[in-house]
Amino acid sequence: MSAIDHYLDVEERENRNSGQGLRSWFRLLGLITDQRGTFAAGAGLILLGSAALLAQPWLLGRAVDIALRPGKGELLGQLALALFALNAIRVAALMAQTYLFEILGQRVMQRLRIQLFSHLQTLPVRTFDKNPVGRLVTRVTNDVSALSEMFSAGFISIIDNLLRVLGTVLLLVWLDWRFALVALAPFPLLVLLSIHFTGRLRICYREARAKLSALNAFLAENILGMRVVQLFNREPLHLERFHQVNESYTSATIRTVRTYAYFQPSITWVSGVSMALVIGYGGVQVSEGRMTLGILVSFFALVQALFQPIREIADKWNIFLAGMASVERIFSILDWPREVDVPAVPERASGIASVKGHIRFEDVWFAYDEERWVLQGLNFEIQPGEKIGVVGHTGAGKTTLIQLLLRFHEPQRGRILLDGRDLRDYDKRSLRATIGLIQQDAFLFSGDAEENLGLGRTLDAESRARVEPALKKLGYPHWLGTAEQPALELLERGSNLSMGERQVLAFARAASIGPRLWILDEATANIDPETERALGQVLEASSGGFTSIFIAHRLATVREANRIFVLHRGKLAEEGTHEQLLQVNGLYARLWRFQEPVDSSEAKEFSPAPVRPPGA
Amino acid sequence: MKGQNTRLLRAALKKYRKPMAIGLATLTLVDLLEVVPPLLLKDAVDAAVAGSATRALLRLAGLYLLVAFVQGLCRYAWRMYLIRSSMWAGRDLRNRLVDHLFGLSAHFYDRKRIGDLMSHATSDVEAIRMALGPGLLTFGDAVLYLLTVPVAMYVLSPRLTLFAMAPLLLIPFFVHWNQRKVHERFEALQESQSRISAVTQENLGGIRVVKAFAREDAQIQKFAALGEVHVQTSLSLARVQATFGPTLDFTMSLGLVALLYFGGKDVIGSVVTLGTFVAFQRYIEKMVWPMTALGMSVTYYQRALASSGRILELLEERTNVPDPVVPAAPVAPRAAARGKVEFRNLSFQFPGSDKKVLRNLNLVIEPGEKVAFLGAVGAGKSALLSLLVRLYPVERGMLFVDDIDVNDWSVKALRDQVGYVGQEVFLFSDTVAENLGYGVKNLVLPESGPHPLVQEAAQWAAVHDDVLGLSEGWGTRLGERGVNLSGGQKQRLTIARALARQPSILVLDDALSSVDVQTEERILQSLRSRNGRNTELVAAHRLSTVRDADRIITLVDGEFRQIGTHAELMKDRRGEYRRFHEQEQRREELETFIQDGGRP
Repeated sequence: MSAIDHYLDVEERENRNSGQGLRSWFRLLGLITDQRGTFAAGAGLILLGSAALLAQPWLLGRAVDIALRPGKGELLGQLALALFALNAIRVAALMAQTYLFEILGQRVMQRLRIQLFSHLQTLPVRTFDKNPVGRLVTRVTNDVSALSEMFSAGFISIIDNLLRVLGTVLLLVWLDWRFALVALAPFPLLVLLSIHFTGRLRICYREARAKLSALNAFLAENILGMRVVQLFNREPLHLERFHQVNESYTSATIRTVRTYAYFQPSITWVSGVSMALVIGYGGVQVSEGRMTLGILVSFFALVQALFQPIREIADKWNIFLAGMASVERIFSILDWPREVDVPAVPERASGIASVKGHIRFEDVWFAYDEERWVLQGLNFEIQPGEKIGVVGHTGAGKTTLIQLLLRFHEPQRGRILLDGRDLRDYDKRSLRATIGLIQQDAFLFSGDAEENLGLGRTLDAESRARVEPALKKLGYPHWLGTAEQPALELLERGSNLSMGERQVLAFARAASIGPRLWILDEATANIDPETERALGQVLEASSGGFTSIFIAHRLATVREANRIFVLHRGKLAEEGTHEQLLQVNGLYARLWRFQEPVDSSEAKEFSPAPVRPPGA
Repeated sequence: MKGQNTRLLRAALKKYRKPMAIGLATLTLVDLLEVVPPLLLKDAVDAAVAGSATRALLRLAGLYLLVAFVQGLCRYAWRMYLIRSSMWAGRDLRNRLVDHLFGLSAHFYDRKRIGDLMSHATSDVEAIRMALGPGLLTFGDAVLYLLTVPVAMYVLSPRLTLFAMAPLLLIPFFVHWNQRKVHERFEALQESQSRISAVTQENLGGIRVVKAFAREDAQIQKFAALGEVHVQTSLSLARVQATFGPTLDFTMSLGLVALLYFGGKDVIGSVVTLGTFVAFQRYIEKMVWPMTALGMSVTYYQRALASSGRILELLEERTNVPDPVVPAAPVAPRAAARGKVEFRNLSFQFPGSDKKVLRNLNLVIEPGEKVAFLGAVGAGKSALLSLLVRLYPVERGMLFVDDIDVNDWSVKALRDQVGYVGQEVFLFSDTVAENLGYGVKNLVLPESGPHPLVQEAAQWAAVHDDVLGLSEGWGTRLGERGVNLSGGQKQRLTIARALARQPSILVLDDALSSVDVQTEERILQSLRSRNGRNTELVAAHRLSTVRDADRIITLVDGEFRQIGTHAELMKDRRGEYRRFHEQEQRREELETFIQDGGRP
């Protein structure tokens, strides 16, 4: 079993922390409060349905006593009608109740899903660095579904069945309490058995689930690493391991079956004892004239009907517990702290829409992990409308600069000013909405082009006016769709577009918001020179008069900038125009000399050398 | 098509026919005994009405207990035999599927999503298991009840049977109507669920973009709209499901109403006894389950067929690098040819693509030679090297290893000859020692430490000291849930892993890209010290990696441009190699400069 052990760890850990039961309950109730009308109606219907259900054995008993004797035939028609009515009520109540609770469950689920999704949108970027996307998606999908199942299949069913048990017992006692005492004598044993087996089943289920996720982990790893498995001829060995993992999972599920296999007969036996008591005691009472036959007939039906709901409760209890575990996981995410979003001085947030683009870094220090300073006292000033190129080696802090401007992170020391105001005084989201950002990896979404530009929002006329001419100029006039042609449809991550096309779309996306500040982070690193040139021209037209910051590896990209900042180890090492920096003959000049031949000549210009024979 | 899809179900039934037969036999016994209790109730009521029948009543109570006891035993038995067999069948199918997956080639995995494959191995197998276990059970119940209960009723009173059962005839129509609706809506529900999942995945993946554009609201709206679709789909399914069960129930209760009216008249007219009346009431209630079970079993069966279709499709996938009918490899290759490679008019395009990746390549590489391929991304270096281990089929032109056409090699034997290190670093959730001993035949890890071959390989790959520095040394667990190693460490481990299997051809496909220059130099030096032990094919985009190769080949657009030693290629002032070299020098200059802290 050693193969499975390692895959088990994570699941075990997740099982362990579930300690906030009561609080989760209240929060869950909080979600239902505005649906309390539906809830009350559903509860009423459950009561009505249960009453109609229980009334039937009683009605049959009454029929035996009063109608099934010579001369009372005319009563039969009325009783049959009453039975029909009871059934109609019961069935109608059952349908309505099922549907109402489904509505309620779905509403709560939708609410929780949106709450969870919205909350995820507000988390700081840092949180996503630490938590794999897959796990968060599971919370939004599987855990919310488990919750819904817990609600409709678990919670409601438990209440329904509890009511039935309670009603049956009360009815039995009301009909004949001595008889009820005899008939229900084995009942406590049944309850004890149910509790015992429910506990056992829970352990079995948990183990089976853990083994299943181990099996999944094994499969995921092996499919991912299939090439290595095959290249090293390890298939037989890994298959053997899979057999082990599979066997261990199968045995766990069989243990569940076995537990059930003990549970069910024990219920059959206990209920058999109960019925035997009813026949023996009740029959004798009737035959000696101490009890009416009708009561005996009612008891037959009622005692039989008592056992099914108890089994159901035992079954649903585990669904219910599994759902509670999901609830706790969901709520724990809802407790994660949001990005601090409110400006310290709210009234100063105004005016962001008309910023001029004056930027000032004052002794800015920043570290991602509190240990290694990425920016070390950065100082510079950018005038409105300036075109700034930022270059430097990998790790010099170029991208961090942007992260700070977008306030994905906050500097630990120093401050950043925009139009003379501390960046922290602006509302984060308004600030970001004024920045046109184009990144190297243009993360595109599936859906049509318009959806992509608006990131889920339809473009208003203004945004369209900003984008359409640019797209036309770049040679993609039809992307947003015309009367004859539907808009461009994108596959996941825009995989049906070329790198250059993706970047064009990313550019249009930035342009659509009418930014007052442009930031291009390696935006043209992966695209061909023609597209780069075309993009540059259109950008020039769109960004004219606004501050723009170009971060680039390829120096040709920033050559035309008003000023070029050379970052080195988190500091501003050099600064000036291209010509000035070449004269300084420092880092920039070296970088330039390193790159120049690549930029000025294309590989195709080289004549292909003839292939020489080996050893020549 | 449908007949095809039942294949998996039939195979399982055949294999586990014995335990399943026992399960079904005990199930039959349980269901047959189900007929008895109402009859006991009938006798009890009739005896009680007759008066002073204490002994008869106690006897009936005792019989009731006996029936319950036997039924209890049988219920244990059918669960243990029937349901357990279904789990075994599920296990077998999973094994078979995974076995098959291990035999499929790179082209298959290029096309398939890992999530889909996993869902075939779990959800789809489970659907088939459900049909074999609970599905067979519900079907058996339905059939047995329908065959026995009406007969018992008929014996008691043909007339009442007619009245009580008449409403039953409506049931098949409900069941049929319901199945279609449920299936359609269930599919729609699955679809909307996976849309939600995909959109969430995409949103969280691109959260930085969403935030940068401050479009959280729009995203939430989009998500809410999707969620609303999900709600509506769920509700439309719920409408069908909420009506189905109660409708069945209601139809049954019509039987009870009929019983009360017509049966009541018969009791008054002394056509039947009161006991018969009571027994009928129990029988009618018992008929609810088989009716529901009938519907359920059909659903189980349908789902199993759909899943079965998907699994069979997967099982019909064939590798596109099959073993030859008569593998040539087991014949020990001539020692002189060990590690010889030859390309002859070799061209290649990826399966399903018409873009030529390699064009008409010709080259002979002698045993022990070190040949390096240099070229831009997409020039075809990786494709060329992957053909050597038959990750993809060789169809145009020929590729010889040890003078044998690779298509005549058994895939296993070929891969045993070649130590292939790719760009992706993949280590398994095993210990370091196990990971490195991955390709060593009959690896037994001695208590005292790793296998000598493993230790030696780790030294060659310059990762030995790193391993000793790990918290648990050779016993440290790697993989997704293990320790975090640096990219360079992982890469060196994969090189050691390949060396440990003592290949006659070592293939390094850009395998030194994430180690720093000094470490690279160490690895290259130790590889050089192995001189001649194996042929070495190296693809790289760093000059330092290829400089000391016996021959260097530049690759452009799938064609060989230049072939020669470093010195020879340097002479061609306009060749790629020279240009590459100059660029590299500037880079080195720059790196030294940066190391020095940016001071000129």
